[in-house]
Amino acid sequence: MSDHSHSHDDGKVHAHVSSFFFLCAIFGALIFLTVVTVAASRFDFGSANTIIAVLIATAKATLVATFFMHLKYDKGFHALVFVMSFVFLGVFLFITLEDLDTRGRVDDASTVRILERRGEQAPGGFNLDPRGVQARERQPAGGGAHH
Amino acid sequence: MATEVAGAHGHDEPDHLAPYLSPEAGRGVKGWLLTLDHKRIGLMYLISTLLAFFMGGVFALLVRLELFAPGRTIMSAEYYNRAFTLHGAIMVFLFIIPSVPGALGNFVLPIMLGTKDVAFPRLNLLSFYIYIIGATFSLYSIVTGSVDTGWTFYTPYSTTSQTSVVSMVLGVFILGFSSILTGLNFIVTVHKLRAPGLHWKRLPLFIWGTYATSIIQVLATPVLAITLLLLAAERTMGLGIFDPALGGDPILFQHFFWFYSHPAVYIMIVPGMAVASELFATFTRRAIFGYFAVAMSSLGLALVGFLVWGHHMFTSGQSEWATMLFSALTMLVAIPSGVKVFNWTATLYKGSIELTTPMLYALSFLVLFTIGGLTGLFCAVLNTDIHLHDTYFIVAHFHYVMMGGTVMAFVGGILYWWPKMTGKLYDEKLAKVSWLFVFIGFNTTFLIQFVMGSKGMPRRYYDYLPQFEIYHKVSTFGSWLLLIGFSICAFVLIKSLRSGAKAPPNPWGSAGYEWQGTESPPVMQNFRETPTITRGPYDYHLCTDEELFDGFPEDLKK
Amino acid sequence: MASAHSDHGHGEHGEHADHPKFLAHHFDTPEQQFDAAKFGMWVFIVTEILMFGGLFVAYLIYKGQEPSVFIEAHQRLDWKLGSVNTIVLLFSSLTAALAVRSSQLGKKNETTFWLVITILCALGFLGIKYVEYSHKFHDGLLPGRYFTAHLPEHAHNGHVLPQRANMYFALYFMMTGLHGLHVIIGMSVLGWVLARNHRGDFSPEYFTPVEIGALYWHLVDLVWIYLFPLVYLVG
Repeated sequence: MSDHSHSHDDGKVHAHVSSFFFLCAIFGALIFLTVVTVAASRFDFGSANTIIAVLIATAKATLVATFFMHLKYDKGFHALVFVMSFVFLGVFLFITLEDLDTRGRVDDASTVRILERRGEQAPGGFNLDPRGVQARERQPAGGGAHH
Repeated sequence: MATEVAGAHGHDEPDHLAPYLSPEAGRGVKGWLLTLDHKRIGLMYLISTLLAFFMGGVFALLVRLELFAPGRTIMSAEYYNRAFTLHGAIMVFLFIIPSVPGALGNFVLPIMLGTKDVAFPRLNLLSFYIYIIGATFSLYSIVTGSVDTGWTFYTPYSTTSQTSVVSMVLGVFILGFSSILTGLNFIVTVHKLRAPGLHWKRLPLFIWGTYATSIIQVLATPVLAITLLLLAAERTMGLGIFDPALGGDPILFQHFFWFYSHPAVYIMIVPGMAVASELFATFTRRAIFGYFAVAMSSLGLALVGFLVWGHHMFTSGQSEWATMLFSALTMLVAIPSGVKVFNWTATLYKGSIELTTPMLYALSFLVLFTIGGLTGLFCAVLNTDIHLHDTYFIVAHFHYVMMGGTVMAFVGGILYWWPKMTGKLYDEKLAKVSWLFVFIGFNTTFLIQFVMGSKGMPRRYYDYLPQFEIYHKVSTFGSWLLLIGFSICAFVLIKSLRSGAKAPPNPWGSAGYEWQGTESPPVMQNFRETPTITRGPYDYHLCTDEELFDGFPEDLKK
Repeated sequence: MASAHSDHGHGEHGEHADHPKFLAHHFDTPEQQFDAAKFGMWVFIVTEILMFGGLFVAYLIYKGQEPSVFIEAHQRLDWKLGSVNTIVLLFSSLTAALAVRSSQLGKKNETTFWLVITILCALGFLGIKYVEYSHKFHDGLLPGRYFTAHLPEHAHNGHVLPQRANMYFALYFMMTGLHGLHVIIGMSVLGWVLARNHRGDFSPEYFTPVEIGALYWHLVDLVWIYLFPLVYLVG
């Protein structure tokens, strides 16, 4: 794809010129996807809600990046740079989520549930993992958390 | 001849064939403050980062002096907290991060690439001024009550502290943009502005290292920006994102902070490695062993640096799974670091080593960085780290990496490129004396901190038990040796500026591109003619005698 | 005077030895300059994505921890206004792309037209945002310690939000606020491009600022494309 813009060697700028109707068609597709995402949010797919919303948003973002931002006609490296930003963001999101999702999984005593005696959570604290709660209910309060 | 040309065309336009320090290249204060020339901007960075180093150094000396004896020595506990916070914040954000890329990178990178300037000269000047504005905010914070949270701004200290955290945080936020824009500029310059014939496999290792650093700056710093913005909002509006009472999670702050600040460790050390590679090549007169592996290991460090931030949080209360994951990933850092250290050592083997002062600094870098790196492995192992976490062992470990690594390479780099930057030679003998003081002083200060830490002395404590007194005394004594060493070094440089002999174009007889085809100091547009690169930067066997000649060109003809 | 010296090293591009006015002295060819500017903008876009990304990470984490509170809180947002704003922003992205196209073809007046439409859309977006914000302020749906929607006087259809919903609004205001700031910056950039276009700086050989300004504007749109469904629709 990169040779498209580099088959010329005269040092002048050769950028792809998109046609007017093509750009309008992309806009139409974006509006269509907006309608789809609004419509989809009227139904409850449970935990898939977020995933559906992100997938549709990614489809829209891809359209904008590919055609409005000319990535399709640009150097492949620019697309790589763009995608890499999402990869690093993904690393940040998933490892951080991994921490938050697995707290207290190995060492039962190590959670943020602080008002142990009354069984209350810290104000606004974490929703405990159901397995963790059961494990705690089986043991009397103050009992050793040895495994 | 250049001056005559300059005379012909008036006042404000700089003369592109005049030496960049001469008035013809830009007159007076305006010629410096509004310059778009990467060399002048580099020098302005050099002066400001050295001032920051001086300031951070003063705080370090105060901290060490307070710890000379148990109990109150020179300041109250409140001021001690401020002193170590300011030492950390200034050294990290105002000194180390902008030091090598901002000062040496700006000066050397375009010359090595055989180009006239960085890709976006105006952006380059802007990032210098952003640095100055950020530094001003930080200084304002120091004047108006200072900060006592530690340089990491951990919540809830930073959200509840009565000191002026917000202006310091905004200062660091602004400094981040300077770092981002410098990184962006270098990445584009390396990609788009290489001289004819300078393909990727011929890039000097300094460029590879700076390039890897720039990638980290661009990818990590924005996350710091948003973290600090959230922290400022937390303080001013009680946002609650990091406040457990409002449903927030203070450990999340640590995730946000270290997602930047661990890669930032590589922003600090990779440029040091980059400088060291150049020094090793020049002063052993041979190609860096395993050139390609060393180049790739810089990129490897940049990549791996993003996967290990949680090793700062082993005892923070993050999940045990995450802890194990981060511990395992942290071991990976040893691979690219090891590649570098082994290749440098192999470069020394059978090289014709010349023990100039820059080389002495490079060798110190190699030894001290290796100690710093290997002790880092102790901290990566979970059960060892539980014992060593937040003790002086950690303090010694990262000072061996940051100061023993980066600062040594930075000083070595300054001395190495000093003749090119200023056109003056410096006093080698006195510089060696200063190196000796710095090297011995550094080890006296920090080697003993490993012992002290493993015996359980916690870091950041104002007071300590009597059994630690002897270690603290030795360490404080070492800090005085460091003061003497750096003072002599400053004297050497100032003396060279005032009365140094004129430097030939290539005083070290190096094969590096920045020494070929340029004058000392270089002309405004670096080269009289754009160079065409026909060999690698370390191909001593391909160099002509003329290229490696370390005197003045007119002497060669005789 | 720079041209007297700066033609070194252009030997291989003989016919371009004369530097055009728009070509900076350290570039050899317009193509090199254009590529550098565009690449620089892409790298900058990466930094922006990671900066907003931090907020999205925080949002997803707290949403995962308090799904029911977030769902309850997001119903206080007006998805209709949000949808209108989405369409406004998507349309402005189209007009920005069309401005680049006109500029590439050298149609100065058309470029001006599309840029003006884009800036008007940006103003419209901010206007609608202002209406939304003032509703939130009125209902006590403010960030942090100013959040009062859990008090009885702000009951909505007979029931109040739990106090924990302040987290949702803290993130809502940080995300939309930072995005709004980018809309303002983008508007200023496009305004600068408009002024230069009016001055006649651009031609089919040199339209870099239009392209760069439009890329920035598309970035503003990209952020909203993710922000709208996540914050307004699924909560």
